[in-house]
Amino acid sequence: MSTKLNLPKLFGYAGLAVFGIISLLPIWMALKTAITMPTDVFSTANSLWVNNPVFGNFLRVLGLPSDVPPPANSGSPINFMIALRNSVIYTGLLVTGQLFFSSLAAYAFARLRFPGRDAIFYSFIAATMIPSIVLFIPNFILIRQLGLLNSFAGMVAPNILMLPFAVFFLRQFFLSTPKELEEAARLDGLSWFKVYWHIALPLQRGPLATLAILLSIQAWNDFFWPFLVGQKENVQVMAVALANYQSQTGQGQPDWTGLMAAVMLSIIPVLILLVFFGRRIVESLQTSGMK
Amino acid sequence: MTGRSADKSVNADKGSGLFGNRLRRKEALTGYLFILPALIGLIAFFAFPTIRAAQISLTNWNLMRPAHWIGFDNYGKLWADGKFWDSMQITLLYVIYNIPLQTALGLIIAVLADRLAKSVLFRAVIIAPYLISNVVAGLVWLLMLDPLIGLTNAFLTGIGIPPQSFLSSPDQALISVAGISIWRHVGFTALLFYAGLQSIPRDLYEAARLDGASESAMFRMITLPLLRPVMVFVLVTSVVGSFQVFDVIAVTTQGGPANSTRAVLWYIYENAFQFSRMGYASAMSMVLFVFLILVTLLQMRLLRADSSDLG
Amino acid sequence: MKTLTHYLLVSAAVLAPTTVFAQDTVRYWMWDGQQAPVYQQCANDFEAMNSDIHIEITQTGWDQYWTNLTTSFISGDAPDVFVNHLMRLPEFAANQMIEDLTPLLAKASYDTSGYLPGLLENWSKDGAVYGLPKDWATVAVAYDRDKLKAAGLAPSDLADMTWNPENGGSFQKIIAHLTVDTNGKRGDEEGFDPNSVATFGLVLNPLSPQGETEWAYLAASTGWRFIDEPWSTHYNFDDPRLAKSLTWIRDLARVHHLMPTVEQTGRLGAETLMFSDKGAMTVTGSWLVGLYHQSKPSVAFAPIPAGPEGRKTMFNGLADSIWTGSPVKDAAWKWVQYLGSDACQATVAKAGVVFPAQQDQIETTVKAFEEKGVDVSAFTKVATSETTFAPPITDYGNEISSIVKAALEKVMLGQQKPEEILTNANEEVNSLF
Repeated sequence: MSTKLNLPKLFGYAGLAVFGIISLLPIWMALKTAITMPTDVFSTANSLWVNNPVFGNFLRVLGLPSDVPPPANSGSPINFMIALRNSVIYTGLLVTGQLFFSSLAAYAFARLRFPGRDAIFYSFIAATMIPSIVLFIPNFILIRQLGLLNSFAGMVAPNILMLPFAVFFLRQFFLSTPKELEEAARLDGLSWFKVYWHIALPLQRGPLATLAILLSIQAWNDFFWPFLVGQKENVQVMAVALANYQSQTGQGQPDWTGLMAAVMLSIIPVLILLVFFGRRIVESLQTSGMK
Repeated sequence: MTGRSADKSVNADKGSGLFGNRLRRKEALTGYLFILPALIGLIAFFAFPTIRAAQISLTNWNLMRPAHWIGFDNYGKLWADGKFWDSMQITLLYVIYNIPLQTALGLIIAVLADRLAKSVLFRAVIIAPYLISNVVAGLVWLLMLDPLIGLTNAFLTGIGIPPQSFLSSPDQALISVAGISIWRHVGFTALLFYAGLQSIPRDLYEAARLDGASESAMFRMITLPLLRPVMVFVLVTSVVGSFQVFDVIAVTTQGGPANSTRAVLWYIYENAFQFSRMGYASAMSMVLFVFLILVTLLQMRLLRADSSDLG
Repeated sequence: MKTLTHYLLVSAAVLAPTTVFAQDTVRYWMWDGQQAPVYQQCANDFEAMNSDIHIEITQTGWDQYWTNLTTSFISGDAPDVFVNHLMRLPEFAANQMIEDLTPLLAKASYDTSGYLPGLLENWSKDGAVYGLPKDWATVAVAYDRDKLKAAGLAPSDLADMTWNPENGGSFQKIIAHLTVDTNGKRGDEEGFDPNSVATFGLVLNPLSPQGETEWAYLAASTGWRFIDEPWSTHYNFDDPRLAKSLTWIRDLARVHHLMPTVEQTGRLGAETLMFSDKGAMTVTGSWLVGLYHQSKPSVAFAPIPAGPEGRKTMFNGLADSIWTGSPVKDAAWKWVQYLGSDACQATVAKAGVVFPAQQDQIETTVKAFEEKGVDVSAFTKVATSETTFAPPITDYGNEISSIVKAALEKVMLGQQKPEEILTNANEEVNSLF
């Protein structure tokens, strides 16, 4: 019995290991590039390790004194603390808003009855199907007319009130949860908002935490809109600052080592968030599992 | 598409006459209030620009000069534009490369993680590629897939497989782009499935196990049916997303070699911002929009999207 | 919920600082990060002389630069002055996005005679001038000194290379000799294994539509030109001389294996292959001298080979243009004049990054490069009217590029006869007009 169980399990673990390695290998290569001398990037591109690792690339993208001279195609150093602060504000505002407003709408779409509900819901899904290329010019003009260029308000405006993805996701979860508890609460005279806030939402802690993580990563990587609307340093987010290291000229190489060093630095805050939130998810799942 | 479970939720309020009507009206009002902020966002930043784009598609706007009304000329041109239809075909092929594999792998990883590795660490590992933006992911893979100096060919030749061209050959470029995209998104998909798996009551499995059900039987009889709402969501959003593939192509192949990766959004982008044909680009966007609506409706129909087997 | 939205938006608005615009702020956009500090120096010097004008320089990478510029035209927020590329000139001029500088030049009696011949002409159409030239670029052969030495060749052997589309002249012989397979056999030796090349004699970027560093210098040396006169509405991609030149490049890779095929080249470009010792020689633009010097100091430069009609390099150059919607045109014009002045051009020259547009700055620039230990004479030598040709400046530049790029890829992949591919592409290009 036990051997019969162990073989599939072994395969399972082997599969997980393979997926893990494939996930991490390119990220390791990015990290390896970040600790390579700029002149050695291409001669060491086909190996997993670099013989004389250097940490100067991290220093130089931060504008600190470094033993690695910036290559000729390098961008100007990033003001890391300011970009970090801006990214935290941007991501925090955006994700908080998205979670609240989207879950509210998702709840209504899943549980409340009102004329035109399904039509409105499908128009939310349809909103993901319009290529964003045609959206951003009218949106840019609107934000400019509102005087919100170079402000966090302008940067979060288009997506803070709703994200079709989040509305759709939460609706599916509300739909697949039994509603007896909520009905009982309604009979006890609780308002719809209180039912949503105190009963329905806490039941979705797991999905909400998952969504929070995914939306945060997404917001952290948002590039094009924050780039158009928030160019000034006091609102410039990390992803926009990173672009400095990509393509300086039409022809020629990006500053590989600088870019990868900056990327590695920029994902550290997200990693912290992930591990912190990840633990919270596990906890919330365990408590909800015990009920 | 009647929202069966939502209908039932008001059974408790079903009074008679005036009382019931008032309650129902209040419920409707609450519903509108709940969706109001989201609706404002939808109208201001999605519906309004979409209507503008529809207007622009009837003009010859070049982004700089005032636009002139040209009726349906752009649509006529589009109908005859072989490049547009080629790009639709390439996009369709890309979706076929991308979606089944990404969904299947995502599901497998989620089930394995649910059964074998509940630790946060594994999920952090699986989602790690998503931490890196599309652009950076494209660059890293560009380096790794380089035919002469890249790691991948060094590995392949090491185990006796001839070096491949990947992004440099018309036969492999689109598959390579799809591969990069799967690498970055599979953890995302897996995490969504994982959230869905966590919502399945554990006692169902225990009961089944007592009845002597095998692992595969439980997967077919419990997991898959109860996962359907999440599956619908994953399929609909990832299909729509992968029809709009752009970033990775922009970084790695720019539509080449020999137009083999010119997906529809890349062609729209070229027209809008490189050829300054915003009117034409808008017309193509409208066609893509309608096409995606049809695809999604079909998917929802096939997947019976609104019913949940649990409710 | 309304209040919450309101609160969120308001609190976000509070976080946004209020920007106070000085009386005359001239906004200046550029894409080259390498040059940004140099021009910041110019701006500081300029501000010291003009205390009522503030210069605000914004540098964004090439990839975003043009989309950003287009959006800013639409929203009426475009920079007062920006670095312009010839590729974009026709459409910006036709749509009256950039100022015709002729009246301003006349009023200021601005002396344009100092520019290298051809530069100002590139930026002119029908008597109007749409930008003041800021720099110029030519191409040269970049070779690895160590590999040259290992092959028993001297730099002087590269000084007078010849080329023709039939047998490749001495250029092809040198390429063959510089190619080494994994057994150490050279490309011109018996027993050379073409399927296992360690170092290619020549590496080129994936062919670009204008071919500046890949094919245009060869095709032009046969007498071929993109167009017969500036602003033409007819391209010559169907010319047999072009097909022959491209066939030679294709066969160098696919038949002789002295150059990586397009499938082998990857999308990272020729520099990466030079840096990683996969290439002994390439052709590069003067704008990459700094990168080579830093990343591969063993690389030196030799003049491009002379074809049947002599040496021909594309003569490209950037210019500063003024946006027609600028609210501070007077200040903008002052700044553009300063950018073209001896003072700023000398600052650029001393930085040794690019070649400034003024003829008499060449010497300073060459010296600045010399101090870094780089001999750039291969680039300056061909900066004459006899050895240069203008980039094709016509309407529909980007659309033509898209068509030609795909056609060139097909040629290099050996999909069809080059003549057929090019004739079809030419028809498609010419039907745009």
